[in-house]
Amino acid sequence: MPRSLRGVVCLSFACAAMFGLTACGGDDDEGSAGTTAGGAGATDAAGRTGGTIKTAYTSFPDYLDPALSYTQEGWQTMWTVYTPLLTYKHDEGAEGATLVPGLAEAMPEISDDGKTYTLKLRQGLKYSDGTAVKASDFEHTIKRVLNLESGGSSFYLAIAGAEKYVEDGKARADISGIETDDRTGAITINLTEPDGRFPYILTMNFAGLVPGDTPFQNMTKDPPPGVGPYRFENVRVNRGYDLVKVADFDVPDQAVGKLDKIEVDIVKNRRRQTQDTIQNKLDYMSDPPAADQLREVRARYAGKRYKEFVTNSTYYYFLNHRIAPFDDEKARQAVNYAIDKRAIARLFGGLLEPGCNFLPPGMKGYEKIDPCPWGDPTAAPNVERARELVREAGLEGDSVTVFGNDEPESRSLAEYLSDVLNDIGFKAKPRIVEASVYFTTIGNQKTRAQLGVTNWFQDFPHPGNFMFLVDGDSIQSTNNQNFGNVDDPQVNRLLDAANRNADIDEVADEYAQADRLIVEGAHVAPYGHRKLTVFYSERIDFENCTVWHPVYNLDFTNLCLK
Amino acid sequence: MGRFVVRRVAGMLVVMFAVSVLTFLIFNVIPNGDPADRMAGRNSTPVQIAAIEREWGFDKPIYTQYLTTMEKVFTGDLISYANQTSVVEEIKRGIPRTFALAIGAALIWLAMGTALGLYTAMRAGRFSDTLVTVLALIGISMPVFWLGALASYYLGFKLGVFPNGGYAEIGEAGLWEWVKHMILPWTVLATLFVGVYSRVLRSNILDTINDDYVRTARAKGLTERRVMVHHVLRNSLIPIVTLWGLDFGAVLGGGAILTETVFDLQGVGQYFAESIGQLDVPPVLAVTLFGAFFIVLLNTIVDIVYAALDPRIRLSR
Amino acid sequence: MPIADSSVQPDPSPVLDGGRAEAAPAPGLSPWALALRRLGRNKAALAFGALFVVLVALALAAPLWAQLADTTPARNHLSDTIVVNGKSEQVVTFDGVPIGPTWQRKFFLGADSNGRDVAVRLLYGARNSLFIGITAAIITAFLAVLLGTLAGYFRGWTDAVISRSLDVMWAFPVLLLGVALGVSLALGGLRIGPLRIQGGSLWIPTIIIGVVSVVYLARPIRGQVLSLREKEFVEAARAQGAGPLRIMFSELLPNLASTILVFFPLLVANAILLEAALSFLGAGVQPPEPSWGTMLSDGVVLLSTAPHLTIVPGLMLVLTVLALNVFGDGVRDALDPRAKVRFEH
Repeated sequence: MPRSLRGVVCLSFACAAMFGLTACGGDDDEGSAGTTAGGAGATDAAGRTGGTIKTAYTSFPDYLDPALSYTQEGWQTMWTVYTPLLTYKHDEGAEGATLVPGLAEAMPEISDDGKTYTLKLRQGLKYSDGTAVKASDFEHTIKRVLNLESGGSSFYLAIAGAEKYVEDGKARADISGIETDDRTGAITINLTEPDGRFPYILTMNFAGLVPGDTPFQNMTKDPPPGVGPYRFENVRVNRGYDLVKVADFDVPDQAVGKLDKIEVDIVKNRRRQTQDTIQNKLDYMSDPPAADQLREVRARYAGKRYKEFVTNSTYYYFLNHRIAPFDDEKARQAVNYAIDKRAIARLFGGLLEPGCNFLPPGMKGYEKIDPCPWGDPTAAPNVERARELVREAGLEGDSVTVFGNDEPESRSLAEYLSDVLNDIGFKAKPRIVEASVYFTTIGNQKTRAQLGVTNWFQDFPHPGNFMFLVDGDSIQSTNNQNFGNVDDPQVNRLLDAANRNADIDEVADEYAQADRLIVEGAHVAPYGHRKLTVFYSERIDFENCTVWHPVYNLDFTNLCLK
Repeated sequence: MGRFVVRRVAGMLVVMFAVSVLTFLIFNVIPNGDPADRMAGRNSTPVQIAAIEREWGFDKPIYTQYLTTMEKVFTGDLISYANQTSVVEEIKRGIPRTFALAIGAALIWLAMGTALGLYTAMRAGRFSDTLVTVLALIGISMPVFWLGALASYYLGFKLGVFPNGGYAEIGEAGLWEWVKHMILPWTVLATLFVGVYSRVLRSNILDTINDDYVRTARAKGLTERRVMVHHVLRNSLIPIVTLWGLDFGAVLGGGAILTETVFDLQGVGQYFAESIGQLDVPPVLAVTLFGAFFIVLLNTIVDIVYAALDPRIRLSR
Repeated sequence: MPIADSSVQPDPSPVLDGGRAEAAPAPGLSPWALALRRLGRNKAALAFGALFVVLVALALAAPLWAQLADTTPARNHLSDTIVVNGKSEQVVTFDGVPIGPTWQRKFFLGADSNGRDVAVRLLYGARNSLFIGITAAIITAFLAVLLGTLAGYFRGWTDAVISRSLDVMWAFPVLLLGVALGVSLALGGLRIGPLRIQGGSLWIPTIIIGVVSVVYLARPIRGQVLSLREKEFVEAARAQGAGPLRIMFSELLPNLASTILVFFPLLVANAILLEAALSFLGAGVQPPEPSWGTMLSDGVVLLSTAPHLTIVPGLMLVLTVLALNVFGDGVRDALDPRAKVRFEH
């Protein structure tokens, strides 16, 4: 998914003012470390259980409805409240990317032709409000995703009958490709074609089970119950919500939360969040510290209360193959030669890991491309070569418009690239589009965007999820995500073959090859991978309870107090 | 008098109507992208967009949309495009904050302006007069958000004297906290106006002091004090109060937007600023009407008060 | 901020002319010559007027400075290092903190978060801000005189329509209107008939500011025209058979000139402040064009680590507006026929 710091869209100073107050108190949570009301639980080897913390987001999650939520903040919460049939291990790195059974008894049995998945629901499961979980709830969950036209619905169109269900538009109709039996708990899913990504698609939060009577509408104001270590309480749209530990959550092999309660408040002002966290008025801040506090936070708290993690994301400039001048390979090469990844890292305050690849380092199928054909990402760029290429291609003086959106980082990136392009011989200027329509604008072929700023965070740890951005087959006339209209037959063939195979390890090489082709062919201009941060108050047990999950970032279930 | 009031109120309603039409047109006629597109998000399909259009009525002609939107405004049903929250609720939440800022600042600048006006009038020509005037001029030459940012940073963050940013609810945090949070915003906003008020008062005083009837009063033997207070001050203050009414209306009407944003008070003005960044029309429309209402209301009140004091005015219009 | 509205006359407060009482006008001098003489005696106004001229000159000299500093307002120097006091410093550190003023040729006033030279941007920004301020004031003056004169002279329906429209504009919170227009037009640009202005052009904020400020001047003009048209010389002109247009041009306008001149510096000051406010809110000048407002809005985000980014453009803005205000005061004192004598004990 693309990342946008929604709260930062708000006008610049609103995000830069100073620290403020504590709102009405929770049960405990003032200043001093280690004082908690609400249950002094047993102290585990891995931090003790119990307690309440306060955390803040810059903006309210897009939805508090599992069928609809499609942002990092949303998913971080969804994961703790709704469990799908399959889920991830609550662990870091490659371990955390491993699929394990969630509400299903075991991993699915996949037929030889790769088109049929058979699972069985665990017995005796109950939602947080006590309702029993039925196998048919799965079909209902998927129906909601499709019927509500969720951002994630395209993933589930792989299921046979799903397209027809969407076309017919009747909420209660049946999806032919899903068969469930409430007595035995059997769930059978038929796909239209084999797709190696499907187990991951089953793991996405969209498929987090909800009761079969959940209405076909956006339930953000009053989210449905789920099966998970936490449940929602006190949801105030746009203001905040609470996550309360589900006392009797006890599903085999499923992580149990440590904290009793997590209070989430929306504080649009990142400066204030940072100050509050420094002063221990806030226990956990998921957004990076405000730009001008970053230095202080790093200096004082790195290793004690603050840590940075490289995410499975890539920030890149797309280059449109269908319009001059980037239909010319030389022009694209010139861009890759000219951008200075160290400079761009500074625009992120250092929260960018410069890189050469298109796939991020944490992804299976990633093989570091070394030496980088465009020059060492951590060294000065070869601007002269870029200028030569532009001259050779006869493109000097050509007009170029760099697209970006009005979020501060995106804007700086667009301005930066314009400057670089001007330096190598083009006549460039940035064009800033309002953030909430940005991706649909550049995704519309009619816009004829020559190049622009974009990024991608994995939806799930499968390289296919990245490569679809450069797959010739994913080009559309509107809502295009392959913004550059990359259409390399070799790459397409590799991806087509690799995507069918459900065993990533077998096809990791193919993805690595595709990655290399994309980079060497200058089909995009990637510059690095985003780093996100964790910043705690003194109360949180930094040593033992910080688990950075590759998909969900900081794992709430592992958070604990000292 | 009664007829005058009725006429003015009727005029007020007409103006409000015109303002609503104008706002609506700005966003719906000036090409700036499809609101349905915006609401549908990144991975939207044409089907999704069409569905949103139907639901919100974007496919209907402009005047129907206008009527529907206005109806929603009055029934309190207005929903924001960006996040489906109730616009009226958000405005209700912001009103006490904007009022707190506006009223506090207005009282301060009125008091300070009057005091300084008096002072400089009495010390006319001396160094202190010049000094105060220069300071006043500097005050009105500063962009309020600049002053606010610097005040917030140096007085708040660096010195730690004031909390910088945010609004403390009296009910939750107590009166003193509330005041602490408001002092800087009040002062910053007041700085804009103090200069003007002191100069206007000063010149009014200096004018009236030389007027014939003051001389007559003196000649009649009234004490200097009585002359000053009863004649000079009273007549000098009338235009001040008029001006104050208009400015107060202007501040409520949106003049506070920058101060609110800088200090993160989450008032109505800030709500407007955040919504407009997302081209979110319902809050923008609602806040504009809210602002226009206060401007027009205060203008009307000032006119009525003035007319009550000076019969010539109500007869000429 | 209020400049003036219809119920308060321009405030004559001859403070800064050194405290001398007004001498009786010398016989034989035209009112303009008199005014000039009065202005000439007002040292403070002259000083600040000169300051304004200096600032304009600096702004015009922007390309010269850019050459000296060997850069442009859009050039980034993110990865560069420069030598300051013998030590090699990074222009922008790895964690995104730009260097402060070096007081050297390059990065005289430091760099911004995009690695651009602040001094160069400041001067180019001054050009843009001053251009917008002055042009918008001209637009305002033109429209206000046009509308005010038509309304005041013809009265009746013309007056009713124009005055009601002005009332509506007056009711519309100025900043809100400016922001609303600014944001919508910034995206799509403006299209009136054959006239087409791109969204990123400087003309958009200029026109917007020019238009929304009309109300400040239109009412006083209208009021003046209303009273002027009853004067004898207008009667005389009419008796001689002059048509309305002729009367407006040859009789009314010259008399309005002093009002316009009195208001003009204030209009420019107001326009500059309004541009800063709009750009700060993202509804004014669009990147990459620099202006004081956009520099301020970029700067406040980094107030803790790079305060020069906020202080420098702000100071320049304050100085310019202050100069205009003081000079404007002086002009008012010089021209306003009702200049009051100061009371001295």
